[in-house]
Amino acid sequence: MDFTSAYSRDNLSFLLEGFGLTLWLALLAIIFSFVLGCVLGIIRYAKVPVLSPIVGLFVELVRNLPLLLLIFFARFGLPELGVSLPPFWAAITALTLFEAAMIAEIVRSGLNSVDKGWVEAARSSGLSYGQTLQQIILPIGLRRMVPPIVSQFISLLKDTSLTVVITLGEMMHHANIVMGQNSRIVFPILLLVAFMYFIVNYVLSLFARRLEARQT
Amino acid sequence: MMDRAGRLPLLGILLLITMLIAAGCGGNNKAGNGNAEPSNAPSAEPGNDAEAGSDTVLSQITERDKLIAGVKFDTKLFGLKDPGSGNVEGFDIDIAKAIAKKLLGDETKLELKEVTSKTRMPMLNNGEIDLIVATMTVTDERKKEVDFSEIYFNAGQSLLVKKGSAIRGLDDVTKDTKVVGVKGATSIKNIEDKVEGLRVQQFENYQEAFNALKAGQGDVLTTDNAILYGMTKQDSNYEVVGGTFTDEPYGIAIKKGQADLVTAVNEVIAELKSSGEYDRIYEKWIGEKPETKQ
Repeated sequence: MDFTSAYSRDNLSFLLEGFGLTLWLALLAIIFSFVLGCVLGIIRYAKVPVLSPIVGLFVELVRNLPLLLLIFFARFGLPELGVSLPPFWAAITALTLFEAAMIAEIVRSGLNSVDKGWVEAARSSGLSYGQTLQQIILPIGLRRMVPPIVSQFISLLKDTSLTVVITLGEMMHHANIVMGQNSRIVFPILLLVAFMYFIVNYVLSLFARRLEARQT
Repeated sequence: MMDRAGRLPLLGILLLITMLIAAGCGGNNKAGNGNAEPSNAPSAEPGNDAEAGSDTVLSQITERDKLIAGVKFDTKLFGLKDPGSGNVEGFDIDIAKAIAKKLLGDETKLELKEVTSKTRMPMLNNGEIDLIVATMTVTDERKKEVDFSEIYFNAGQSLLVKKGSAIRGLDDVTKDTKVVGVKGATSIKNIEDKVEGLRVQQFENYQEAFNALKAGQGDVLTTDNAILYGMTKQDSNYEVVGGTFTDEPYGIAIKKGQADLVTAVNEVIAELKSSGEYDRIYEKWIGEKPETKQ
C-alpha cells in the first residue's frame, strides 16, 4: 500500500473533478425524479381512469428492472431507435426514470396512509376531490414521505456510480483510471472514494433524521 | 395546526421546481464538460452505410480531417490517462497516432474516445468511433461482428522470473516448480492443464503475487504478458521469458464492410514494422524488443 503516491495532488484533483460530476448527476436526477415521481404517484393514487393503469404499468416495469440495464439501454439501445442522447443525458434519463418509479411508490403509499376518515370528513364538509387532495391528503401525506424519499435520494447518489459502465467521468470512473497506474494504490484510492460518498450521504441522512424528529 | 403543516411541503415543491428550471437552463453547457461530449460525428445511420460506397468510414475521416479512435483510459502500458496532464498515453495510443499520421498527414488530427470492453463494439457500430485500438483480442466470435486489422501485439500468457533464473520457458516448468498466480484467473487453469500435476499457489491480486515472487515464495509468476511487462517496469530485476503459450493477439477493430480502411490500417502496421518504428514504440512501452520469432 502506498498512500503517498495514491494521494498525489494530481490524483486528488482528478478524483475531486469526478466527484463534482457525481454530485451534478445526482442533483439533476434528484430534481427531475422528485417532480416526475410526485406526479406519477399522485396519478396512481387518484385512480384516474386509463391514465392510472398506464402509470401503474410504467412504474412496475421500471421498478423491476436493474438500473444498470436502463443506463446501458439509454446509452446504446435508444440510438438504435433513432433517439441519440449525449452520454450525460442518457445517464440522467436512466437515473430519472428509475428513481421516479421508486419515488412514485413512496408517494402513493404516503398518500394511502392518510386516514380515510379525514378524507370523508373533508368531502362531506363540501370540499371537492381536488380540494381535498390539495388541502388535506397531500400536506399530511407528503410530510410522512420525507424520510423514505431522502433515503431514496441517498440510494440515488450511490447509484450514480453505476454510470461507470458508460464511462461518464464521475468519481468511480476517475477512481478506476487512477487505480490503473499502480496496483499498490488501489486500497488508498477506494478508501478515499468510500469516504467521500459516506460524508455526503451521512449529511443527507442527518438532515432526514432532523426532519423526522420535527414531525413527532 | 393543519394549516402550518400544509404549507411547508408545498413550499418545498415550489422551491424544487424553481431549481429545476434554473438547472435545466444551465445544464447544457455543463454536460459538455463532463467528458460527455455530445458526439457530433455519428451522422451515419446504422444499417445502411455499409453498402453506400461513397460514404465509407475512410471518406468520413478525410472529410472531417480527424480520426476518432476508441482506446482504453485505464490500462497501464496500453492506454492510461494521466490525471495531471489529462493526456492519454500508451502503446495503443502511439499506434493510433501513427494511423492518424498516415491517413491525414498529422498525428495530432486524432481524437481519443474512451472505450471499455463492454462499450467498444456498440460505439464502433454506432459510428461514434472509426476504429478500436484497445487491447482487443482477435477471436473468431468477434470476427462475425467486426473486421480486424493485422495483429499489432502478440498478447498471451507468459512467465515472469528473476533475471538469471534457470527457467527459460514453459518447458522448464515441472510439477515441482513453485508457480504463483492470481485467484480465479483463467491463467491458472491454463498452466495447470499444460503441466501435469502442477499446483499453482494463488494470491489475491497481482501485487501480492509479485511480492510473493520477490520474497522467494515462488520461482515463476504467470499471467498475461501485458501485465507481466508492467511488473518488469516496476522492478527491472525481473524478466518475461519463453514467449507466450496461449494465443490472444491484439488487432485493430473496424466496422464490417470497410475494406479500404482495413487495407489502409494494415499498410500502416506494415510500414511501422519495416521502418523500425514499431520496435521503437514496442520498446518504449514494453521495455524490451519484440520477439523476432513472430
